[in-house]
Amino acid sequence: MTQTKNLIDEEGKRTDGRTIDDLREIKITVGVIRNADGSAFIEFGRNKIIAAVYGPREVHPKHMALPDRCVLKCRYHMSPFSTDTRKNPAPSRREVEISKVMRESLEPALILEDYPRATIDVFVEVLQADGGSRCAGIVAASVALADAGINMRDIVSACAAGKVDDRIVLDVNDTEDKEGSADMPVAYMPHLDQVTLLQLDGILTRDQFNESLDKAIMGCKKVYEIQKQALMQKYFGNETELKEEQ
Amino acid sequence: MQEIKRKYVVPGDVVVEGNFRPLMNVVRTGNSIISTRIGIAESGREGVKVIPLSGVYIPRVNDIVIGKIIDHSSLSWEVDVNSCFSAHLPAQDVFGRDFSPARDDMGRFLSIGDLITSRIIAFDRTRDPMLTVQDRDLGKVQGGELLKISATRVPRLIGKRGSMIQTIEQATQTKVLIGQNGIVVVNGRKPDGVLQAIRAIKMVEEEAHTSNLTQRIKSLLNVADPQQTEIIPKPTTPQEIAQDSKNADDVQSTIEEVEEEIIGEVEKGEKL
Repeated sequence: MTQTKNLIDEEGKRTDGRTIDDLREIKITVGVIRNADGSAFIEFGRNKIIAAVYGPREVHPKHMALPDRCVLKCRYHMSPFSTDTRKNPAPSRREVEISKVMRESLEPALILEDYPRATIDVFVEVLQADGGSRCAGIVAASVALADAGINMRDIVSACAAGKVDDRIVLDVNDTEDKEGSADMPVAYMPHLDQVTLLQLDGILTRDQFNESLDKAIMGCKKVYEIQKQALMQKYFGNETELKEEQ
Repeated sequence: MQEIKRKYVVPGDVVVEGNFRPLMNVVRTGNSIISTRIGIAESGREGVKVIPLSGVYIPRVNDIVIGKIIDHSSLSWEVDVNSCFSAHLPAQDVFGRDFSPARDDMGRFLSIGDLITSRIIAFDRTRDPMLTVQDRDLGKVQGGELLKISATRVPRLIGKRGSMIQTIEQATQTKVLIGQNGIVVVNGRKPDGVLQAIRAIKMVEEEAHTSNLTQRIKSLLNVADPQQTEIIPKPTTPQEIAQDSKNADDVQSTIEEVEEEIIGEVEKGEKL
């Protein structure tokens, strides 16, 4: 990847006016799809993504079922209108890969052994893409899974870090992803303090890598607070503490 | 009375730290007990549990469920119990132990499409649920209006000691059959009453987590409430759902000592 223009100005502001430690604005709405068992809509900067969870339900075809645990299926898909030039709706190589890494990043959080011979289907549909859609997809899918009432050890949170103008920045957007020199999406379980996804596109020195990972995890923790708040808002309204009964 | 602490939790939240017994929807990680569902956590002397507020129905032994016959083999019926596992009702359960597939006609008792009220007698992670109809009030459902609600709303629909469902039944002059799996059958002589009962049940499902629901159901059904002017209704937040599903608590408090012994034994067992 070669960098062609300045992505961080003299005041330390990025192309969209953020500092290097700022996240984009995140808004999560839980339970947007009535037909699904759990669902969430996320606006992660200019990303707009819907996640829907179905299950645990019967496996079809039956021979795919596992006797000791549940099968998790993930489908990441970008709508034809999600990008500026039309995207072919057929699953591309990239989408198949993201579906796989998304499944692997959610799996450690789920207690799949609780639902033997069943399946959980996760659908992530990108309505508008703006860089970092796999992270935003994981965030939405994780909230949708919690909304579906599936047993989970923790909620998976995700955020990317990257290298832009030789500086490590949090949450790279589309321009920084394309023009910058490195992009590192990280999914993380905040309570268990475990990383479930770590990809890196670009070249980083050892120090840069460490800084990047720390920054991404810090971002994940911020995202987690938003996820938790969204779930609380749906189920308990504005109450955060349970009033003790008399 | 024993002390029960309640709080709202999402998956991953630490419910309590220390040596407590995990009962339902919680797992132990190190020294802390963490929730695995969204819901209301209760930690008391007998252990820690989370009452879930969402999720599909997962069968449990001794649940009374309403199911639909979807198929039958020569030895058993296959029943859809609104879950990811399809249940089986053995023909021997209906015809007795001397059932013979050659002699007895299974279609005489139940045919495909029939609804049955049944109890789960066996279910674990290795086998699909097995049902029985050999009990009082179990067997074929003769008629009525069928509706599905979320299984997590069933305790709310029943209410404290059946208060909610009794209110609905009395006000609409209907008989409401509720399965733990979220299938509800409403019977009544007057079609208006049935429709009104269905409206009330749907309202309970949609607004289960809101406060003051019983009062609103009463006003929906035009029930005169003599106490309304005198008593300020108790705040009924999601915690009432919690309240509903802990009917056995009074009994629990009288056997606290026994409980302590059991917990002691469990601790010993863990150390061993």
